[in-house]
Amino acid sequence: MSRVVAVLGAGNWGTTLAHVAASNGHSVALWSRDAATCEEINAQRSNQRSAPGLTIAPGVRAILDLREAVQGAELVLFVVPSQAFREVARAAGEWLVPEQLVVHGTKGLELGTHKRMSRILQEETCARQIGVLAGPNIAAEIQRGEPAGTTVTTTYPRVFDVAREVLASPRLMMFPGTDVLGVELCSALKNVVAIAAGMAAGMGMGENAKAFLVTRGMSEIAHIALALGAHRATFHGLAGIGDLVVTCASPQSRNHRLGAAIARGELLQDALARIGMVAEGVPASIAARELAASQTIDAPLLERVHRVLHESLAVERALEELMSLSPARE
Amino acid sequence: MLHRVSVECAAGKDRERARARAVSPYSAMRRPWHEERIAEAASSHVGDALLARTRDAPAVEELLGATLFHERRRLAHADGAERDEADRAFYARVASELRVAGAAEREQLVRSVVEHYVREVQGHFDWHVYDFATRALPVLLTALLHGIAPSRMLARLGHLQNVDDYVILGGEVDRLRDLARRGTVLLVPTHTSNLDSLIVGYAIYRMGLPPFMYGAGLNLFSNPIEGFFMRHLGAYTIDRRKTDPVYRDVLKEYATIALERGQHNLFFPGGTRSRSGALETRLKKGLLGAGLTAFRRALVAGRSAARFYVVPCTLTYPLVLEAATLIDDYLREDGKARHIIVDDEYGRVERWVEFMGGLMKLNVPIHVTIGAPLDPVGNDVDASGESRDPRGRPVDPSRYLLVNGAVVDDDARDASYTTLLAERVVEAYRRDHVVLPTSVVACATFDEMHARARHGELHRMLREASAFPVVLPMAEVVGAVDRVVSELRVIEGRGAIRLGPEVRTEGSEGIVASALRTLATYHHRAVLTREGDSITVGDPQLLFYYRNRLDGYGLRAAPSLGAKP
Repeated sequence: MSRVVAVLGAGNWGTTLAHVAASNGHSVALWSRDAATCEEINAQRSNQRSAPGLTIAPGVRAILDLREAVQGAELVLFVVPSQAFREVARAAGEWLVPEQLVVHGTKGLELGTHKRMSRILQEETCARQIGVLAGPNIAAEIQRGEPAGTTVTTTYPRVFDVAREVLASPRLMMFPGTDVLGVELCSALKNVVAIAAGMAAGMGMGENAKAFLVTRGMSEIAHIALALGAHRATFHGLAGIGDLVVTCASPQSRNHRLGAAIARGELLQDALARIGMVAEGVPASIAARELAASQTIDAPLLERVHRVLHESLAVERALEELMSLSPARE
Repeated sequence: MLHRVSVECAAGKDRERARARAVSPYSAMRRPWHEERIAEAASSHVGDALLARTRDAPAVEELLGATLFHERRRLAHADGAERDEADRAFYARVASELRVAGAAEREQLVRSVVEHYVREVQGHFDWHVYDFATRALPVLLTALLHGIAPSRMLARLGHLQNVDDYVILGGEVDRLRDLARRGTVLLVPTHTSNLDSLIVGYAIYRMGLPPFMYGAGLNLFSNPIEGFFMRHLGAYTIDRRKTDPVYRDVLKEYATIALERGQHNLFFPGGTRSRSGALETRLKKGLLGAGLTAFRRALVAGRSAARFYVVPCTLTYPLVLEAATLIDDYLREDGKARHIIVDDEYGRVERWVEFMGGLMKLNVPIHVTIGAPLDPVGNDVDASGESRDPRGRPVDPSRYLLVNGAVVDDDARDASYTTLLAERVVEAYRRDHVVLPTSVVACATFDEMHARARHGELHRMLREASAFPVVLPMAEVVGAVDRVVSELRVIEGRGAIRLGPEVRTEGSEGIVASALRTLATYHHRAVLTREGDSITVGDPQLLFYYRNRLDGYGLRAAPSLGAKP
């Protein structure tokens, strides 16, 4: 059955998801606020700035008008950066109706409020049937049709059923989950660890050091998320360890690239400008620190990433400090 | 039968009733209560649902076996009341018939078990008694407030006075009145005391609303005064000792069908009285979801204009009748399964008289705040009774239940909607809680005591403070109250709490003096007493109880002790 789908946000991941859904035979409206991008997608089937090299499936129609994209869609996918999420949600909220299903693929928390994206949707729209798409999914690999697994986490079974019909294929296996809070926190905070892994790579450190940082990072994330009500099983799932492994191991990940650039001595602003895309780990590092403090949890690794990024702590010094802590318990 | 009552009323034969009608615009348009029809529908609905779930004969036998197991286990510990004897005979018959029953007879047995439960649950509302009770209730409360013996109360019937000084109604009263005309209301109050149903029942009458149906625990009928009223003011019976899942199905179905048929309902979504004194943070979703189920069924039946509203209601007492028993149970059972308290202050008339007399003498009222109404999925509701999304845009609630234009049954979806509704109700409780001097001073004093304690661990600290009474300098308690009040003002500024009149206008010394007066009354040991320039903590457990009302507001002076309600 062909379904009508809206994808909001024509960045790398949004364009990829629109392409996947259209390749599965569904009719996709891809919303972008950039007229040139819409024009390029519709005329040349490409989006060179965000998804270079991809020939976008013919079932994708790029649309500049949010209302036109949202109205009539059975499933609405929100794939916009976390700091623009509320604004887009509020605008889309003008047209969303209660029976529409919403899934978001944004890995981040709102600055200042630390709110999760599903919360923002609940605050800005009438939508209730909400799910989160998360997993070890490098967009470029999905575009090439390489095998991958992902998750849609929701307490509404129909959201999963429809999302699976739209996005899953013999190349993309989709698992259900119900721990929305855990998945959202995990996917947001793991980007901070990815920056740390990038820093280790940038400093030319070995695999031992990287594994050490990644594992400690996961443990800190788990402590924070569990205190806030996450389920333990989430951390060893695709949206937990799966996503962390891929973000930290892959030099293609933008957070990883950012960390490596900083370790090589580049300034944060320059590195961000050069990468040219949003690195969610930067705002997430601020949220990580404040959330840990609010739960009185010690998170030395996340804390130091924050200080390197925002308080110009030298990377070498951060590592020294980290190694000289007296470990309480793993 | 019931129609005759309304004819009598219209004829104005009874002057008292005419007066009641002047208060209640509903008296003139009394709808008959359909308890008989609700019971019949609940019975056949639950029976059908059970038999649809259990398709083969062994499953039906298992279902009956489970009922026999649960009920016999309960009856083994029952105290031999009349009701229990009848149950024993009934289940003996079920057991013997089950042995020889064929498939059809077994299904019939399932239906008779359901019917048995339904008849026990079913209420016996009567307009005659309602008229009497609503007239008697203010008198009764007033009489109690004046310390008059119950036997002399009836003689005073008609001399209504004063009770409104002791129960202060606030919040969205007008909107509730309006919505009760537009649709069916599910009123969901906080649960502090067994007096709650009496107070809320009175508030409902005072607002000029028609009577609400509500579930009352079997043990509540033990109090001779309230037992009488409850039976006739719309209560149906809940027996918390019954563990059979079939019984739970019956209870939920009874309330749902009543709502579906337009009968306003009242239930306490916290389930039982808050043991710690804290406001509810988690609600029972089963009954709370009944409004949504009723709404869905109304839509399926083609009644697309039917509206259901969930209205939170927050009660605040300056003193709590059963505080001592409740906090004792909380501390004993902290974190473990709780007791069903069957014998407490509530069952004893003389404690009522002391309690009411205490409130009266002190002139400290109970606050009942009606919260902002919600639709069955937790959206706000506007002045015309229509739902609004969080940004105030109009939204059609029936669309939450649609798939491709048709209403679809989806239990998991509805449970998730109800979880959100529960969050909004809990928010309303915190927002509408009226802060009284007792909780402010308990909070400040408890914090001072906590700061001085050699042992931070709660149970140990309370034990030590009981053995060696804590004495605090008055000036420090006043200083701590200053801090708590200034933080509360900030919270009130955000619209996240309501300050009671005394807390808002009195200075800290006045607040302390008022709380000391109240806390020295009624309870066997004065919770706090003043001696010269110092304050002695007479009952640390009760201090903890009254302080818990302010738990979880993020007060620096009251770090969350994670007090579960």
